[in-house]
Amino acid sequence: MNPYQRIVCRWCNAQNTNATSCALCGAPLDGRNLVTESGWREAPRLRDMTTIHFRQSTCQVEGEIVPVVELGLAQGDAVYFEHHCMLWKTDTIPLSVMNLQGPKRSFFRMPHIVTIASGPGRVAFSRDATGEIVVLPLHPQMEIDVREHAFLLASIDVSYSYVRIKGLANILHGGNGMWLDRFVTGQTQGLLVLHGYGNVFERTLAPGESIQVEPGSMLYKDASVTLEAEGIKLSSGFFGGTTMYLARLTGPGRVGIQSMYHHHESGE
Amino acid sequence: MTAGAPYVCPYCRTATAGNAPTCTACGAPVDVSLKATPSGWIELPPARDMAHIQCGHSSVQLAGPMVPVAEFTLAPGDGVYFPHHELLWKEPGVTVTQRGLKGAWKRMLAGLPVHMLDAVGPGRIAFSRDAAGETLAIPLHPGRSVDVREHVFMVATHPIAYDWITHEVWFQTGTGDERETHHPIGQLLDRFSAPAGPGLLLVHAHGNAFVRELAPGEHLYVKPSAFLYKDTSVHIWLHFSLPHASNVTRWTAWAERYMWVGLKGPGRVAIQSAYGHVHDPGGRITGGKHTVHQW
Repeated sequence: MNPYQRIVCRWCNAQNTNATSCALCGAPLDGRNLVTESGWREAPRLRDMTTIHFRQSTCQVEGEIVPVVELGLAQGDAVYFEHHCMLWKTDTIPLSVMNLQGPKRSFFRMPHIVTIASGPGRVAFSRDATGEIVVLPLHPQMEIDVREHAFLLASIDVSYSYVRIKGLANILHGGNGMWLDRFVTGQTQGLLVLHGYGNVFERTLAPGESIQVEPGSMLYKDASVTLEAEGIKLSSGFFGGTTMYLARLTGPGRVGIQSMYHHHESGE
Repeated sequence: MTAGAPYVCPYCRTATAGNAPTCTACGAPVDVSLKATPSGWIELPPARDMAHIQCGHSSVQLAGPMVPVAEFTLAPGDGVYFPHHELLWKEPGVTVTQRGLKGAWKRMLAGLPVHMLDAVGPGRIAFSRDAAGETLAIPLHPGRSVDVREHVFMVATHPIAYDWITHEVWFQTGTGDERETHHPIGQLLDRFSAPAGPGLLLVHAHGNAFVRELAPGEHLYVKPSAFLYKDTSVHIWLHFSLPHASNVTRWTAWAERYMWVGLKGPGRVAIQSAYGHVHDPGGRITGGKHTVHQW
């Protein structure tokens, strides 16, 4: 193994090099848990044609550049999604809508109708961009916040709402728009699938630990992680300069970022 | 490979012991079979995921195969500079300040970033470019310098000096008030050099990157938007080739010309495989230095 590659222990979170068991707690190490030196873990690169099971249905991830998620929905299972993410479906899949206070969301250019596909049958989804599929199984009683337009689909037992980002500076400069999608599970487990632009990295912040990220790169976070925009004054010597904004994420909880982001000021 | 055997990285030419899986200077895999095209282009071996590059007391790790992230671990007092939009994340302890740039007005007119930022350790800071491609690590040894096309520069360590130069890749169309100047590779080239000590330069190539060594006097033509960087010893100019047409249609085919960037050795040149279209407005060329070949 590359001596600079680090494996994080899933038991005690210590980083190890050149070892098969954790130097601190002795737990066996999994070579797939590679992290960068600062602790970012790459989203697991799903093998082409990887199949995941949820409830009575299956979810297969196909393709590696612009991946497709193909569902085999069993009778009684259903998923919801933004309508423009659907790639194809079989005749047997009925579609219905989940109404979400339409005008308010439309005003902020969020889809106000979320579509529901019910089994039995097959249906596939993709986003029109190079990136990675992030599969997040949500355990009971979990809350996760996702940036606008990043969610691909969720199983019907995950409740969907949206929270307004607080603070004018956060809305104007936070790079995440006006809303964050919030997914919450009740007493049952659910499945949430996201699309990250470019490569996706995740790390877990300890209580009070914070990190500053390019606002357009924030992909998802646990609801316990706070998000706050911070400005850095820049002066070019004329026209009074400008302010660069970063989003400060403070733990405890998981945060996910994407390496290809929409830069909120230049429009690049 | 025998431990301790001299190994010269085919990409960055740095001599190392060769007993690491990746070049310690540029991150390219050491034990790879190079893919050279029959014409002499070498496909740059992409840095392995999580490749680690040491630069002085600091280091950088390249992570992610599609839109790579360059994550610096800065030692106390070490620093990097970068255009502000390259920043992906940083630890709160890393200080970021404005870097003074001469000729800000000229840079703004040329469409180059006016704000260049400085980050000083200790701490971690990461960069990425908002496009699929490769992050190229170019270690600059003392006395060496390279010319890089606009908007591909990601980040450089403090020992590297930054300047920009004008070049001859431009042309004019129209006359009088209608005269218009066109810059197929931008108005300026970024020039990076290592005047005193070694440093590390990171640039982003859209798609895949290819490099080749041009012998003295050897030249070739590349698409303007595919040009990535060159040694300063390589001469660059604008070239048009006009396709063969019959006498009847030749005068109507004046806009059917191919625009190239000429590169003449000695020195190293690099191109990228994903490039945007550079629009040739057509019309009679009324200014600028260029060569023409009529087939």
